[in-house]
This record gives sequence, C-alpha cells and structure tokens, in this order.
Amino acid sequence: MRKRKTKADDPMARAVMLICSSVCVLGIALIFIFIIRESLPAFRELGLANLFGSQWSPNVSEPVAGKYGMLAFINGTVLTTLGGLLLGAPLGICTAIFLDQVAPRWAAKVIHRGIELLAGIPSVVIGWFGLTLLVPFLAKVSGTGGDGILAASIVLGIMTLPTITFLSLEALRSLPREYREASLALGATRWQTIRRVLVPAARRGILVSVILGMGRAIGETMAVQMVIGNARQAAWGPFQRTSTLPSRIITDMGESSGLFRSALFAQGLVLLVLAMLLILAIRLVNREKESAR
Amino acid sequence: MNPKTADRLASAVLWMLGGITLAALIFVVAQILIRGLATALNPSFFLGRPRAFQEGGGVLPMLVSSIYLAVWTLVIALPVSLGAAIYLAEFARTGSKAAAAVRFCADSLASLPSIVFGLFGMTFFVIYLRWGTCLLAGACTLALLNLPVLMRSAEESMRAVPATYREASLGLGAGRWRTVRQVVIPSAMPGILAGTVLTVGRILGESASLIFVMMLVTRKTPSFNPLSNAAPLASNIWYTQTEAIIPDYRRVVDGGAALLLLLVLAVNLAARSLGKAYSRRKGVKTANA
Repeated sequence: MRKRKTKADDPMARAVMLICSSVCVLGIALIFIFIIRESLPAFRELGLANLFGSQWSPNVSEPVAGKYGMLAFINGTVLTTLGGLLLGAPLGICTAIFLDQVAPRWAAKVIHRGIELLAGIPSVVIGWFGLTLLVPFLAKVSGTGGDGILAASIVLGIMTLPTITFLSLEALRSLPREYREASLALGATRWQTIRRVLVPAARRGILVSVILGMGRAIGETMAVQMVIGNARQAAWGPFQRTSTLPSRIITDMGESSGLFRSALFAQGLVLLVLAMLLILAIRLVNREKESAR
Repeated sequence: MNPKTADRLASAVLWMLGGITLAALIFVVAQILIRGLATALNPSFFLGRPRAFQEGGGVLPMLVSSIYLAVWTLVIALPVSLGAAIYLAEFARTGSKAAAAVRFCADSLASLPSIVFGLFGMTFFVIYLRWGTCLLAGACTLALLNLPVLMRSAEESMRAVPATYREASLGLGAGRWRTVRQVVIPSAMPGILAGTVLTVGRILGESASLIFVMMLVTRKTPSFNPLSNAAPLASNIWYTQTEAIIPDYRRVVDGGAALLLLLVLAVNLAARSLGKAYSRRKGVKTANA
C-alpha cells in the first residue's frame, strides 16, 4: 500500500465533506428561490385578493376568466387532512400502545411487519386501490359518485397510519422501564398504567408523530388526485367532489402557461410554507420536551 | 367502572384495533395482488412492449426506465449523502453551527411534499438549465428528494460504530480521513447498504415529483440515454389510468400496480435481510478477532 503522510485532521478531506453537506443547504435555498421566482408574477399581477379568492376559473374560454382563487383547494386540503388524521391518528396511536404494551411477541411481530409493508406501498398503487375498490364501494353505500372528501380521507388515513404508529411506538419505547414497573407495583392495572402514566409521559413524541402524519397527508398528491373527484368548487360534505392543493397542481400543470402556471406555483409556495410551519412546530414541541426535563 | 373490568375492556378494544389495522392492510395488499398478480407475472406483460390503441400491451420499457432511474439517482445522491454523513458523524465538532444548519436544512428537505420537488425540478433542471424533460432531470430531482434520508441512515450507521475503533486507528497514527475510509465505513457498511436499498424502494414508487420533469411518453423500446424521455412504471400507472386510451388499460394498470408492489416489497425485504446478514457476519468476525 502507498504510504502517505497524514496530518491528524485532514483539512482537505474535511473541506470536501463540508462541500457535500452544503448540498442540502443549497438544495433547500434553490427550491425556495425558484418556487418564489415562478410564483412572483401571480402575486404581483393578480394580487392576494384574487389568489386567495374562492373561484378558480383560469381558462380564457370560460365565462368568468382570470379567477385564480385557491381557497377552495386550501379548504379541501384542510378537510381531507383532518379526515385522514381522524382515522389514522387514533388507530395509529392505539396500534402503537397495543404493540408496546398488550400484544404478545408473535402478534406484535406480525403487525409490525405488516405495517412496514403498508408503508412501502407506492402512493399510485394505493390510489388505484382507492379508485377501483373504495370509490365503487362508497358509491354503492351512499348512492353518489363515491369519490370526494370521504374517499380521500380514508386513503390518507391508510397512508398516515404507518408514520403515526411507528413514531408513537418509538416514543413509548423510549420511556424508562421504571415508569411502568412503579405504576404496576403500586397496584395500578395495565390500562390505568397506559392511560395515567405511559401516554402522558410519551405525549410529546405522540404529538410529533401526528404532526409528521399531517405533513404526509397535506403533501400527498397521486392517491388523493385519483379519488377526490378534482372538482374546482369548495366542498364540505363527505361525498362532494373537490380538490386539494397538490391534486390541483398535478391536474392543471400540464395545460397551463403564463399567469395560470404562476398561480399553480403560488399554490406550491403555500404547500412549501405549510411544510416549514410543521417543521417549526415539531422543533417547538421538542424544545419544550428538553426544557421540561 | 371497576378498574379490573375497565382493564379487561381496554385490552379487548386494543386487541380489536390491532386486529383492524392488520386486517385493513392485509385487505389492501391482497386486493392489489389478487387483481394484478396473474397479469404481472405473465412474461408477455413484464417483457412485452406497450401498445397504444390495442389490447395485450406490456410494460418492459417502463420497468427498464424505473430501474435505470434508480441507478442514476443513486449515482448522484450516494456520494453526496455519504460525504455529508461523514462530515456530520466524523468531522463536525459538537455544537458546530455548520452541522446544525445542515441538519435543519436536511430536516426541512425531508418534510417537503414531493410535488414541491416536482415543481422545482421542472423550473430548475428542465427550464432554467435547459435540459428539457429527461430522465437525468428526474434523477436529479429524486436525488435531492432522497438526500436527507440517505444522509441520515449513513450518519446513524457511522455513529453506531464504537468509538474504540476510531481511537485504536487514530492511536496507530492513521489520520482522520484514513480512519473513516478504512475503519468506520467498512464497519458501517451494512447500515449504509440497507439504507440505500430502502431508498431504491422509494425511488421505484415515486411519481408525483416526476410527472412534470420527465415527459411521460410511452416508449416502445427501452432507452439508455439519460437525456431522453422516459416513463417509469409508477408514473406510467397514473398516466395510463388518467388518459385511458388503451382499451384494456384496467388490465395494464392492475398488472402494473401488482408488479410495482412486488418490486418494492422485494427491495424492502432485501434491505432487511442484507442488514441482518452483514451484522451476523460481522458478529462472527469480531468474535474470532
């Protein structure tokens, strides 16, 4: 082997590695710069009132052209995300408690593997499942088209389940054994221990798992686009068709140009800002955890 | 309610919810496989050429594009993520501001919706850099998307290497870089490999970020030019069901979905067994040494 003199800290190697690390910084900066740059014309020429209005009719051929309001899609994003979390969070948290405290080893292993499997299913495949099985089923039950907010919520519930389960499980597992043992030794039942000791102690980790699940639900594109119906109106009912921000972007981007396209980038910017807010929320929760100790 | 009754009731409910979770996911996977498996495993499907207006087409070019895309993505993302991980795990001093900034940016990058990466890839690689829609633009977009995950898994694997290994190497007079190269990376290899293979699974399933970056032209024959257009399997499933111009598109999408699911599951299984096999071998090695 070639002999070479090595200075103990290898400044050359250090510099190269630092450059590699800066790619992350550069990447996020470029994403911000280019998304803002593309959405600037929409903000400048349409104004906030139009962009955050409730009507979306961007095509010139339409009776009321030049309306680029994204409020209906923000509404759709919020409703489907809440719906998804309403299904995914309780089920995920309870599954985590079950895996950690109640399940015998074989059952825990089977369910753990199963959820890992679920986490790996590509979102187009989940979307296709939703479109060909869930939507027809809901159509039969409700006597409507079947697609819409409820279908999207169920799909998002399935997709947030692995995130919430695994991160809640991690939070529960990182608790000191003594918490449980002390509670049981004092004569508490298993359920009292779970409800009064373990869940309160792990609540910050559980909260973070739900926030991350929320991030996944807000940004999910393909699966939602396939089952939500892609209507342009705001909707409130479970069987009404509407759109979310990502599903609108993916539906309209292909045929857009000029201000139309810029307005879609403005929707992307809203998603970007939402994602950053969630990151800050997680930092806040974790900081409180540190100061609480 | 009596605490004992409450406990029994709660256990029963938790069992039930665990059962529901398991039943739901078995149902989803089983449905996808039942409807598509026969098509997916038919050689005329996964080795066949796509057909536009007639029945009986296959998905070979899309399959090749998916795998080729994964290769290019890793070629771009692996060196960078490894370098970043080495910096964070081995070179950065504790409390370093630069390392904190890198971590924050990686966390942010990891939390962005993939559609945002798609928008960025379209404006930056396709339009601003004038590459046009092509496989390379898709690979660069996915490299950025997967960078944080790759970096984190590599960093964690390196941190799991006992400090005594490094101390022994440094004590023998090796520099930091040589220690990293000859001691830390070989020991962290199983973790790094497992993380890489898991990323392959994510790349195969990714579609939202690729729709605007790679023109979804359905190629009749596979292409190995990274600057040409390509439609990977996952994006093509979406495209096929949206356009529905193939008469038997349901069969093609059913088969494609099942094929994709099988591929991703196989890759994830491989990641798991790879990690296990290596740690077993390492265990033997250290026992002998």
